[in-house]
Amino acid sequence: MKTLLVVDDEPEICDFLKLFFEERKYQVRTATSGQEALDMIPKVKPQVVLLDVHMPGMDGLTALKRIKETYSDIKVIMVTALETREKIEEAIRYGADNYITKPLSLEYLEKDVREKVAHLAGEKISQRE
Amino acid sequence: MAAKGDKKSVDFHQVLLSAAQSMVRLKHPERLLKMITRFIDAKVKLSHTSFLILDEKKNHFLFIDSKGSRRFPVSLLKVDMDYPLVEWFQVLKRKMRIKEDYLYLPQLEKWSHNGRYRYTSQTNPETFEKIKKAMSDFKAELVVPGYYKKSLIGLLLLGKKTNDCRFTPSEISFFQILTQDCSMAVKNAQYYQDLISQNQELETRLHEIEKLRQKEQETYYQIMRSLAQQVHAKDPYTFGHINQVERLGMMVAKEMKLDLSGRQKDILSAGLILHDVGKIGIPDSVLKKPDRLTPDEWEIMKTHVEKGVKILEPLTDFKEVAEIVRSHHERYDGTGYPRGLKGDQIPIEARIVSVVDAFHAIVSTRCYDAGRPIEDAFQELERCAGSQFDPKVVEAFVTAMKRDMKKRGVGVWIEEDQGHS
Repeated sequence: MKTLLVVDDEPEICDFLKLFFEERKYQVRTATSGQEALDMIPKVKPQVVLLDVHMPGMDGLTALKRIKETYSDIKVIMVTALETREKIEEAIRYGADNYITKPLSLEYLEKDVREKVAHLAGEKISQRE
Repeated sequence: MAAKGDKKSVDFHQVLLSAAQSMVRLKHPERLLKMITRFIDAKVKLSHTSFLILDEKKNHFLFIDSKGSRRFPVSLLKVDMDYPLVEWFQVLKRKMRIKEDYLYLPQLEKWSHNGRYRYTSQTNPETFEKIKKAMSDFKAELVVPGYYKKSLIGLLLLGKKTNDCRFTPSEISFFQILTQDCSMAVKNAQYYQDLISQNQELETRLHEIEKLRQKEQETYYQIMRSLAQQVHAKDPYTFGHINQVERLGMMVAKEMKLDLSGRQKDILSAGLILHDVGKIGIPDSVLKKPDRLTPDEWEIMKTHVEKGVKILEPLTDFKEVAEIVRSHHERYDGTGYPRGLKGDQIPIEARIVSVVDAFHAIVSTRCYDAGRPIEDAFQELERCAGSQFDPKVVEAFVTAMKRDMKKRGVGVWIEEDQGHS
């Protein structure tokens, strides 16, 4: 099962992306803060996390750092309305697998998530071999 | 135009008319587009109603608004120019020779099964599949375009009707006209905004240019003023001359009740200060000659008038001042130089300069003539009134001077402000 965790402080965006990816046969869970996401990861075991950068409380970059420290095999795609070079560089340093700016193209988002999952599957197969 | 069945739910005709009417010359149509989106959502009962508008600067489409249970988060999404729905209305529809200017899912099914459409390098049976997928991604049952001069700038996406009924032709044509009107309104508003910002930019630039020009002219004026001072510094006998000439000239103008409002005062003042600025171009051998000048030397001396005018030429604001400089050696009877102007042909400011300059020359200690008492100077001016000088100016000058002297003490001529302004 392809499992996706959507993290965004706007419930409307969480709901929309949940529905969108569920229709594409993903199991989708949502969180509205960085802390909530971190708490959910051990249970949900997502392959891909869509992570908003600007959130009250723990922001996306901090959450990214924590996720990558503990679960290096989880693919994290940063999603943000802001794109300063510093933020992008920081995200890449923490190990972000992609950085998508809002407004985003649904087509691109879907393709990127699909590729990340496929990539993970590929890695698993090569590990087994 | 509405079919009978529609009238119960929505009077499209009326809505359309009022929407179209209120959109003419709207400065901020976004609010109205939101209202229309909400109106459709409330009246037509669809899974969603979404309005996309082209962001020309970013070159993609953005949601103006989205309503309904399957609405889209407006800030999250964009639609790129190469997205199948956009491409369809921009290019593909024409390539495939499809007349209908909308995409309606049931009809799309028919088209794709029909197979009689023209396929090119850009279009093939899969085109329909791409379109279907795009419509499914956006949960759209009906997609209606809006154009401005043949280029797509608006897209109305309509979800399924909640009662599962199909859209009627009259509904579709209603949405077509509505989307078209909305797109035109958006485009007009953009043009209007562009125009305003262009105008503002232009005004700011003009203002800057004007400021620069003024600054330049001020600088030039300062240079000339110091030049004029230098002229008189070169001529030790008339040291302090220009400040005196300016003061006396203004006094005469006031006595004559000339209009000194606005620039007039500055023009007169500059004329009084700068009338001899051309002397900077006269050789010292002539300018400082202690003896009387030979006729040739006089001719050279006279050129200071034209030289002064030349110096003032670069100053567009100083046309009138240049005219005063050009005319300050004209005589009232027409025998002066350089043009032999007569009476009122000579600017009044130049007639004043002429009197004040002559007076100052008479009372100052000159190399060729010892300074004479003021009464002598008055007599001299009065003697020449009507020939060299304008009698009205002489009269005003003498009157004003006498009053001024009385105030300061009878018979005393004080050279004030010598050497400084």
